[in-house]
This record gives sequence, structure tokens and C-alpha cells, in this order.
Amino acid sequence: MNDDRLDELLSRGTRDYNEPGAAPREEMWARISAARAAAAAPAAVVIPLRTRRTRVWAGAAVAAGLILAAGIAIGRRLEHSPAPQTSLAKSPGIVRRDSADSIGSQTNTPATGSPTTVVSGTKLTAPDDEIVRTLRAQTRNTGRRAEELAQAASTAGDNQSNNLAYHLVVLQHLAGSEAMITAFRSSAQRGDVDREIAAWSRELLSTTRMLETSNAAAQDPTMRRLLEDLDLVIAQITQYVTRGTNNPDDLDLIEQSISKRSVIAKLRGTISGRNQPAGT
Amino acid sequence: MNAWHSPNLVTESPRIIDRQLVHRCLAGDSIAERALYDAHVDRVYRLMYRMAGDGDLAADFTQETFIRAFDRLEQFRGDSSLATWLHTIAVSVALNGMRKVQRIRGRTDNIDDTPGLSVQPSGFTADLKARLHSAVDALSEKLRPVFLMHDVEGYTHHEIAGTLGIPVGTSKARLFDARAKLRLALAAFAGDHIA
Repeated sequence: MNDDRLDELLSRGTRDYNEPGAAPREEMWARISAARAAAAAPAAVVIPLRTRRTRVWAGAAVAAGLILAAGIAIGRRLEHSPAPQTSLAKSPGIVRRDSADSIGSQTNTPATGSPTTVVSGTKLTAPDDEIVRTLRAQTRNTGRRAEELAQAASTAGDNQSNNLAYHLVVLQHLAGSEAMITAFRSSAQRGDVDREIAAWSRELLSTTRMLETSNAAAQDPTMRRLLEDLDLVIAQITQYVTRGTNNPDDLDLIEQSISKRSVIAKLRGTISGRNQPAGT
Repeated sequence: MNAWHSPNLVTESPRIIDRQLVHRCLAGDSIAERALYDAHVDRVYRLMYRMAGDGDLAADFTQETFIRAFDRLEQFRGDSSLATWLHTIAVSVALNGMRKVQRIRGRTDNIDDTPGLSVQPSGFTADLKARLHSAVDALSEKLRPVFLMHDVEGYTHHEIAGTLGIPVGTSKARLFDARAKLRLALAAFAGDHIA
């Protein structure tokens, strides 16, 4: 047999050598995100590449935890930063407790010349907080991603990789929501709401409502209740910002919703893994 | 010269896009990171699968490739395309990973150890294909990536040279050697049947 004949055989015979199927894009991306988040964590957590479900959850929890930690940092940062030119009247009805679901002690900070923009009657400061912008960017696409994954799951059946990726997205959404609420409370308490937070709350409300109708929420009553509580709080925040009436009673109602429903505690419990997340 | 016909524009545009994407990733733009991943993951995964022959390993190698790439993105100078740079990482990850796997499996790289055949085929049978696949498995670390990239996945010699950090001539020579070894391995088996 001549070389040409052998070459033809070679070509035909190697065409299907280790023939790859479709790349498991979402599963790999979920693991990449989790591993990178873990690597960026202060106490480095090494997640083996061939992760199991629980390990992916650990990585996802770290990723969500980072957003959560940043959210707390925002709150502290805003609490200690100077107030804008004009402050909202403080609500006398705001409950002052030290728990996570109660707003911290209110500060009477002097007015400064920080830039303000009037939108629909609400004073919105210029988006001067880089952390808020970064966190918003992290959660901006969670709704779209969750929707895509839910659709993929509905067509592919009970696919573990889709479930893992979906859970990661849900965790990121919860952590982002916690960070936004923290940022809002701190800034509203000072009498201003960053316009980045206003846009952020609308995005998170949309995602929350989408998740509420998902199969994962339907299968997990705890998660469904958490999402319903979150829906209420974020909706109140969005209305507060949109109305722009700066009514302290509205702010009080938001605080009561957060406090009575223990929203922050539930969010932190779920993100840290103390509460079992949806679908697990 | 019309801008459309500028060779620089034609050849540099993808590089500019690469640099812009990298710049956005380095600035913490998560959408850009996902865009980078989406643009390259399928091709990287295909090559990883061809090299590993196992879906889990291919996924592991692909993940490791992108984790390293994002980790070292500031080192991307734009001298080569982003695809070439990613593939360089990927091939390195795969070769190192396969060494570990082969140590565990106790495989040998020697093509002469390819098992002999006891069944005479009729036509282009599964036996012949299995023999051929075993022969590809047994190619050396230098020859196998070149063969897989060129003959199986359709990479050009320029792409292979850029990825493996070798001259184009070396890529061609390695492909020639790989084919020669595979022909040799097949000749005894296929000769009687085909002739």
C-alpha cells in the first residue's frame, strides 16, 4: 500500500479521534468563577478543578460572601462619610437596634458640598462610590443568566451542571441584594441615595421576581419565602427612590419590613450556607 | 491607499479587539470576561478533548486554562493573538495534566508497545480505527499535539507554531514525523487488506 493510500486511511481514521461533544460552557464557567472567587478570598480556599457539587457550592458561597462583605463595607463607609448638601428629615420611628436587620445608629453629620442631582424630587448623589458600581456590575446580568439557565434546564431536563450554575447565579443575586440594601440603608439614613443604587434596586427587583417564578423556588418553600420577602423590601426601596418624596414614614416602613422579616439575617444565612439554598 | 485595503488594518483589527477586551477584563468588567470566555471556550475545549479523550479531563483542562489566563491577563502583551496566547496555556495545561494521568494509568509513550492485532479486518473496520487511535495515543509529546492540531482540528502551521513556541518549519517537520509513525503503525495491519 502506498503513502497516499495510507494518508487517506489516516485522515478517515483520525477524523473521529477523541471526538468532542458540546463544551459544558455553563458548568465550566460556574467552576471558573467559583475558583477565581475562592482564590481572591482573604483566606485562600483552593477548590480542586474536578469539583463535586458541594465544592462548587463552597466556591459559590465564597463568591457570594465576597459581595456580601463588600456590601457591609459599603454600609460602614457610607455611615462614616459626610452627608450631602441637603439631608432628608430623619424618621423618628426608625427602630434602632444592633442586629443586622436593624439600622445602625443615626449620625448627624455636617453638610458638605458633595455633588447632587435632582431626579423626580429625590436627591441623588453622583455615583461616586466605586464599590457600589463594581458590585452592581457583578449582579447586572444575574437575571439574564438565571433565565437562560432555567430555559436550558427545562429543555435539557434535570441537568446537574445547569443546576450548579443556576444556584451560583441565585447566590450572587442574594449577595448583591444584601449589598444593595445595606448601601441603601446607609445612604438613605444620611439623606441621599446614590443614583447607582437606584438603578441597582430596579435591576435586582426584576431578577427577584423572575427567580420567584422559577422551578427552583417552587421546589423550595424556604427560598420562595425569602424571595418574596426580598421582593417586598426591594420594591419598597425602588418606590422610595422613584417617588422621591423623601417621606421618613416610607423609610420607616422599609426598615420595619427588613426587621420584621429578618431579611438580612436570612440572606446572610443562605449565602454563608447555614440555610439550605434552593434546590439542594 | 484605501483604508479597506490597508494590510495593517486587516491584520491588526483582531489584535486591537483583543487588546480592548483584555483592557476591559483588567478593569474588572465581568461582561468582558464572559465575552472572552465565550469567544474561545469552544475551540479550547475541543482541543483539550482531542488531547485528553475524556470529557471530565477536557473540562478540567479548559477550566484551568481560563483560570490561569484570567490570573495572568496583565502579562498578555498582544505580540500574538489572544487565541494563540490562550492555546499556549491550554496545551501546557493539557500536557502537564496528561503526564499525571499517564503516570497514574501506567501508560507508555512508546509507539512500539502498541498492541498487536489478532483480528483480520474486512474493510475500514472498527479494529483498524482502534489501531489507529492507539497509535495516535502513543505519539510522543512533541508529535501528538502537532498532529491533532493540524490534521484533526485544522489549525494552520502558523497557529501551531505560535501556540507551541516553535518555528513553522519545526511544526511541519513534526507533522511529517507523526504521519510517518502512524503510517508505519498501520502499514502492517492495513496492507494486506487494502492491497
